[in-house]
Amino acid sequence: MRTVLLVLLVCSLVLGASLSVQAQRSDFAIKQGFEETYKSLSKSVETAVNVAELDSLKTAIDSCEARYSRHEKLLDRVLYPETFASKMKALRTTHALTYDRVYLITTQGVKLEELEMRILYLTNRIDTLSADRDRLAAELKTLQRSSTEYREVIRRLQANLAAKDRLIFALVDTVFQPYGKDLSKAGDIQRESLTRQMEKANILNRVEGVATDNVGFLQTTTLQPKDYASAVDQYQLFSNRWQGLREKLIAASVAGTSTAPEGAPVRTKGKESGVTATGPPRESPAARVDSILGQWGERLQLAFWRGLEKEFADRGVTVEPFHDAAGFSSSIKAYVAKVQKTGEDPSVFVNDIWKARIDKEWREALVKPAMLGAQEYATLDKLVGELSRPTIDAKMILYAVILVVLVALIWWFFGRKPKSPPPPVRGN
Amino acid sequence: MNRIAHIFLGITSVTLLASCSSLTIENVQYDWPVESVLTVTGDNMVADGPHAVTFSAAGIANEEFQDSTALRGKQIRLLRSFEGFYFLTGPQFKNVYVFTAKPGKLTLKSKIEVAPNGLNNPAMNQRPPYVELLDGTSWIRKLTSDEVVKEEKQ
Repeated sequence: MRTVLLVLLVCSLVLGASLSVQAQRSDFAIKQGFEETYKSLSKSVETAVNVAELDSLKTAIDSCEARYSRHEKLLDRVLYPETFASKMKALRTTHALTYDRVYLITTQGVKLEELEMRILYLTNRIDTLSADRDRLAAELKTLQRSSTEYREVIRRLQANLAAKDRLIFALVDTVFQPYGKDLSKAGDIQRESLTRQMEKANILNRVEGVATDNVGFLQTTTLQPKDYASAVDQYQLFSNRWQGLREKLIAASVAGTSTAPEGAPVRTKGKESGVTATGPPRESPAARVDSILGQWGERLQLAFWRGLEKEFADRGVTVEPFHDAAGFSSSIKAYVAKVQKTGEDPSVFVNDIWKARIDKEWREALVKPAMLGAQEYATLDKLVGELSRPTIDAKMILYAVILVVLVALIWWFFGRKPKSPPPPVRGN
Repeated sequence: MNRIAHIFLGITSVTLLASCSSLTIENVQYDWPVESVLTVTGDNMVADGPHAVTFSAAGIANEEFQDSTALRGKQIRLLRSFEGFYFLTGPQFKNVYVFTAKPGKLTLKSKIEVAPNGLNNPAMNQRPPYVELLDGTSWIRKLTSDEVVKEEKQ
């Protein structure tokens, strides 16, 4: 019913406007008639909810174009800097986009309203988490670094950041959901629609925000060895998801607005407000995410290897400085070789550092492929283990020989039975 | 010799004065693509957006209706012609007023009588070299800046 009324209204408007144009032949009336019809058609197209309605509106657009095309010259001047053709093209594009959206709803069985509700819910949750994060970060500043509360706040802050990561990528999945898996096959209209959804949900800026939060977290907190395992996992997970999103963006060719080449002018939005950036060329949001992700990885590695190095320094063991997995590995190997060569006492290195600290506290993070890796750790562990085995040296051999000689002498003196004297010989 | 020097100085002065004359740009097209339909405000002013003219309608109201307040709240139609003249008329007007733009003022060039009983639903179109005047569906007249040159009955 709504559709019929709407279409009748639009058709009567187009017809009415054209009749008035014919009757009066005033240029002003032509201009006004076109503008009113155009406005009405645009509004109807934007609010259309089913395909039948859009089909009728297409007829109305065709009719409008046919009626006003003979006044194209006048309208081109009146509508300057736009033209009659560009206005009609814009209207047809809006129609096609709406058609695509409505078609997706009806054919793929996905209710866009539901998805939009979900996007809204997710964005609200993310905003709530952002507020919690700010509160926790403020709380963290007031606490003693060694206190139990500090540890607890760090744990909650880490959980908060992880939850935000998950929500952001759930949001990404929700936005991409209606477009199917193979985005390279998506049409131009679908891509434009996807781009609009991405911009509406402020995806790239939100992803950038999460990465920035994590960098900030690493800057302001001192992590304990066991915290690093989850920090590394979180970084890896985020990095993988971002790569996935980047591939999707490329597949959907929304790169033009979202992953433009560096330095190219791009349409971006402000952190929370929808501000269009103009003016000098600037880095695209995708490039910024890449850059922040790089910083996040660097800071994580730096904090981790520094913390590990401190374990040696605190216990007075001098090893070669290291800043990465390869450096750590060669430093341990060099130390083991040195101990084996000089014969110095390795007990502090083996027992207090390796067994009590590295194996107990750092191992979980060290065995992760992004850090040292399980295989390399096993190699180093075996190497260090060899230091704790008793070594056979000359002194030991001398002691052993002395012991054997002593045993032999004792046996010779006490163990040997005295020979019994020969029996007396009796004479005849 | 002295006489030749005077002649030479005279020619030089004339040449220099000629080169000091103002720059003139020819073939300027002033025409608006479409007329403006403007409502006269309570203080008798007419304004056509940020890039066009703003003026008082009191003088025109007085000339047309012998009442300087007659146009308050009413609509007038304004169109700048190809040559740069402002054509002004409106409902109930008997005339079309043609003005020339001068620094800080519009000077009446001509007052063209078009409807002794007043116009009902006038509109003006740009049809270089003319301005076309319609009155509803009754007639179409082609105007120059001085007179009606052509009429078509509907």
